[in-house]
Amino acid sequence: MSVTVSDHDSKKNLKIISQPPTLRIIPPLNFCPVEKHLYRSGQPSIINQSFLQDLNLKTIIWLASEEPQEDFLDYCSSNNIDIEFVGMMNDYNYQSVNPWDALTEGTIKKALELILNKENHPLLVCCGMGRHRTGTVIGCLRRLQGWNLASVSEEYRRFTGARGGRILVELLIESFDLGLVEVNSEMIPEWLKN
Amino acid sequence: MNEYSEDPFQMDEDLKNDSGGDPSTKNSALLEDITPRYEDPTYHSQSIMYQDREEIRSKIAHIKLEERNAANNNTTEEDEEEVYDEDIDDKFDTEQYNEQLQAQNGNIPHSQGNRIEVKAGAEASPILDEGAELTPPENFAPVINTIYRSSFPQPVNFTFLKKLKLKSILCLIPEDYPLLHQKFLEEQGIKLFQLGMSGNKEPFVKISSELITDAIKIVIDPENQPILIHCNRGKHRTGCLVGVLRRLQKWSLTIIFDEYRKFAAPKERPMDQQFIELYDEREIVKFAKENEFLPLKWD
Repeated sequence: MSVTVSDHDSKKNLKIISQPPTLRIIPPLNFCPVEKHLYRSGQPSIINQSFLQDLNLKTIIWLASEEPQEDFLDYCSSNNIDIEFVGMMNDYNYQSVNPWDALTEGTIKKALELILNKENHPLLVCCGMGRHRTGTVIGCLRRLQGWNLASVSEEYRRFTGARGGRILVELLIESFDLGLVEVNSEMIPEWLKN
Repeated sequence: MNEYSEDPFQMDEDLKNDSGGDPSTKNSALLEDITPRYEDPTYHSQSIMYQDREEIRSKIAHIKLEERNAANNNTTEEDEEEVYDEDIDDKFDTEQYNEQLQAQNGNIPHSQGNRIEVKAGAEASPILDEGAELTPPENFAPVINTIYRSSFPQPVNFTFLKKLKLKSILCLIPEDYPLLHQKFLEEQGIKLFQLGMSGNKEPFVKISSELITDAIKIVIDPENQPILIHCNRGKHRTGCLVGVLRRLQKWSLTIIFDEYRKFAAPKERPMDQQFIELYDEREIVKFAKENEFLPLKWD
């Protein structure tokens, strides 16, 4: 008997939802602007479409060892976004790399040279989670910008999640030979100049 | 009946059937039945003591509240102490870095081995200007277009800040801006907005949504950009502000919280996330639409 009473009560308290949930824009995981027209994130997919639309991307540097999903590839080709696959293959024996392998010097050099050409901008650098591979490339870029190593490390670790940064990645950033990077001085983005 | 009453799970139903009628009286009867009876005469005095303690506690809480209200804009003692501590640090550093800056300006090489090493590396790179070493403030990042966020900048960060070509700085802490900083702003022609607010400190101090609204009005005005938003650590107050900005961009809350936590780590505050979610954006959306500041643009 009392059950029916409470049942009745709960019906009284029912509220009518008058509005549909509003549209939410979903940026890719670990997304953050780096410089003007340069962004970093984890692996984007088709659910990020409405967000990516606003960025007007020209190029995506894909550092993940996994290939993008088919529908995302379609999205990129229909929007004339160039996906540069960097670091998916081992340069020496042409075998695919493991997701946990560190980037090679050649991969970092290639990625940096793409970033330093403003013709490729707006540009997104991404890997699986936007942590270590992306962090390596952005870290080396920061060194090239003249950031001190402590600030580079602080930024890298901000994006590495609960398990923290990897010492090997930081060693790689510290020891990367900036002299390897070849750039066309006319193509350097504005933010790298004075 | 006997069989049923032995089963503990059946007892309630049996009782209900017996009493029937009004559920409230039935419940109170039940409660009385199961309330332990204290034969011990000290029980009552104990409970009085307990009540007294409760009364004192609530009085103390009340006094604290009153103090806080009297101080109005000021933060709680705890917060104030913390802020002042950090401020003293700032001032101390200010002098130290002032000397460092002078040393640099006079082209006196710094004595630390590390610095020289980095400088040498920087000079080797083909693009760098003057081989100068850049130190961004902690927790620095672009938010959108030329809106930036960071912790309280130190004099050692000034070279870096110059490169951002800031038009204004929005400071979210109530304390006076350090003199050296003021001088830097004057030199660079940077406008300073100061909206002193206290962060979310459970349970009494809450971040003010009115102040956040005022802050957003400043930030999204293109007249003021490029703009740097900072508080003390660039975690909580700045985090709340950026969270609200992200809502104006219609980001999904999950990603907003993720970003908040990234910058607030390891001191994320659930209250801040709650603030971001519950903030009433109607006023600011109306303001932004009237001034055609929305949607926020990436370039």
